[in-house]
Amino acid sequence: MHLFLLGVSHRTAPVDLRERLDFSSRDLSAAAAAVVARPSMSESVVLSTCNRSEIYVASSDPARAREELVGFLSDYHHVALQAFQPHLFALENSAAVAHLFRVAAGLDSLVVGEPQILGQVKEAFQSASGKRCVGPVLGNVFRWSFGVGKRVRSETALGEGAVSVSFAAVALARKIFGHLDGRRVLVVGAGEISSLTAQHLRSQGVGEIVITSRTHAHAEALASEVGGVALPWDAMIGALGSADIVVTATGSQRPIITRAPLEAAQGHRRSTPLFIIDLAVPRDVEAAIGEIEQVFLYNIDDLQSIVEENLSRRAAEVEHAESIVNEEVAKFMAWQRSRSAVPTIVALRQRFESIRASELQRLESKLGVLPPDARERVDAVTRLIVEKLLIEPTEQLKALPDEETQAAYTEAVNRLFKLQQDEEALDAARDTPLDIARGRHADPTKLR
Amino acid sequence: MNALPLVLYAAAGVAYAVHFARRDSTAGRAATTLLLFGALVHTFVIGMQTMEVRHVPIANPSRAVSSFVWLLTLSYLYLEMTTDERSMGVFILPVIVGLQIIPALYPGVESRDPVLDSPWFWVHVSSLLFAYASFGLAGILGVTYMLQFKEIKKKHLGYFYNRLPSLQILDAMNSHAVTIGWLFLTLGVVVGAVWMTQARGVAPNDPNIKAMSLDDPKIFMALVTWGVYSFAMFARRTLGWTGRRAAWLSALGFGFAMLNFLPINYFVTTSHTFY
Repeated sequence: MHLFLLGVSHRTAPVDLRERLDFSSRDLSAAAAAVVARPSMSESVVLSTCNRSEIYVASSDPARAREELVGFLSDYHHVALQAFQPHLFALENSAAVAHLFRVAAGLDSLVVGEPQILGQVKEAFQSASGKRCVGPVLGNVFRWSFGVGKRVRSETALGEGAVSVSFAAVALARKIFGHLDGRRVLVVGAGEISSLTAQHLRSQGVGEIVITSRTHAHAEALASEVGGVALPWDAMIGALGSADIVVTATGSQRPIITRAPLEAAQGHRRSTPLFIIDLAVPRDVEAAIGEIEQVFLYNIDDLQSIVEENLSRRAAEVEHAESIVNEEVAKFMAWQRSRSAVPTIVALRQRFESIRASELQRLESKLGVLPPDARERVDAVTRLIVEKLLIEPTEQLKALPDEETQAAYTEAVNRLFKLQQDEEALDAARDTPLDIARGRHADPTKLR
Repeated sequence: MNALPLVLYAAAGVAYAVHFARRDSTAGRAATTLLLFGALVHTFVIGMQTMEVRHVPIANPSRAVSSFVWLLTLSYLYLEMTTDERSMGVFILPVIVGLQIIPALYPGVESRDPVLDSPWFWVHVSSLLFAYASFGLAGILGVTYMLQFKEIKKKHLGYFYNRLPSLQILDAMNSHAVTIGWLFLTLGVVVGAVWMTQARGVAPNDPNIKAMSLDDPKIFMALVTWGVYSFAMFARRTLGWTGRRAAWLSALGFGFAMLNFLPINYFVTTSHTFY
């Protein structure tokens, strides 16, 4: 069984094409089910975000799976084949595993290290498993990828630091205030930037948002949009006194908030911090205000340079994250090989056990005269011998370095011990926990 | 006997440093476990000494330091567990380890001076030790506040910005620690004064009791410390001295407290030498 992946991403396709091949989150499970319904594929997960649409499948015939998937994409989205075929990328087995791990780690994202992708991978997986489209192949690789995503997040600084101005502002607010619940926000200016920032702050759970603008109607419009309160322009300075966070983004040519009136307005509440975010160019807030104790003044350039610093810090972490991904791919592939050795190991074990049982059966007449505890002892000792004989071959079979060697060894073992593995036993064995292969079901130490 | 907790504290200190530098959660958990274990062993040591001398071992400077370290560790662990914030460990552990060296090297013999045989005395010393432990936390919180404040104010969001909690949380915790410390300091000083008048009746010729006045550097310094913290509390509530100013005051106050607790206590005081 092969793992096969076909898709488009921001690296291979322009945005308009990605839009046309996008699956909405509601359709993920239905799409996965539609893929599995095609003859050459037994498992499927559909992952779709604004930067990628990828279909992961388990198939015994990847070439045919590819053809069917291309057809599926064309049918499902009503897009002509020629329109998207040059933009597709396809990966198989370890390359597909590596891709999924990189995606889950945020390494393949447009903004490297962005945090949403791991959740989207999980959602894609859950949607598919809800429709029973996931079996051992995709189940294992996806579950492993969640661990990789988590590991990269905890061991590297890949996802750290805000990479947009408004996130940088919110991150700063958090470092000043702790949580933002109940914080009072004053927004000065009712343009687009103000609107975006106000919405972002609202989504972070701030308390009251007060909006003021030279044109009161604009303030009212924005206030109703973000669930805030509009304030007359004249009352702005007074409102500075009770605000925790001030966002300014007006088109004014001269500073509208200067030091003396602010200090006067602040008179009675000097003790709590005031965070001023000046997003306007030219600046709305006099630079001298930043010198007031407990006032933290950041302008657009300050925030922009934080964003750039964070981006370069993330870039520096990419190498570390890639090495983690490579390590995990190697681990996963080795684990998979050790799993594919399981049927041989199980067959070998069954063979040994059947020899043991038949020998005991043959000696039944002689053993029958022994007292019951001595008989038990014979049973235990023979079982122990079988266990001990099998420990080393089991370990060796599991630790084979690559698939060719494994195939050769399996073949040799099959011949040497005349093992017969029918397909049904193989399938059953594939789902057997590794404990059996490790020989844990009979603990030899207990016999001593 | 105080060496074993010292070793565990030192190991915890290393783990906290690794946790802080690499932000490695495994190192963080190891640090907390080591510190908990150190505190447990330390509890056992203090318990043994209590059984040996039949009271809490605080009537000798080295043993008082050991008890102080123990209280500081417990207070820190309480702070860490209630706030789920491990980043302060790297700052507090050097204080814990540094102080624990004293009882580990100089175990000291518990004073048997009969004049100390009064419940007032035990309340006096215990309250002050607990006050110092609170001030220790407040001082460390103050230092970390200043580090965080500097980075945010100067717009150099660097090493500490990503590792330390927010300013408001540091400030709030600092305020709590100072308030609790101040209450116990006040209690300790008042009880000390009550005990002194009582002791003058019992042992009027004891040189220690005779020397108890504002002329004694230890008593004078204790009142200065009390003054600093009283001002810090007053200034926070009425002058709006929160944030960096409060952080400064709590670091200064802890400096005075430690000055009084170590050099003055060991070498200068004329009235607190019962050993």
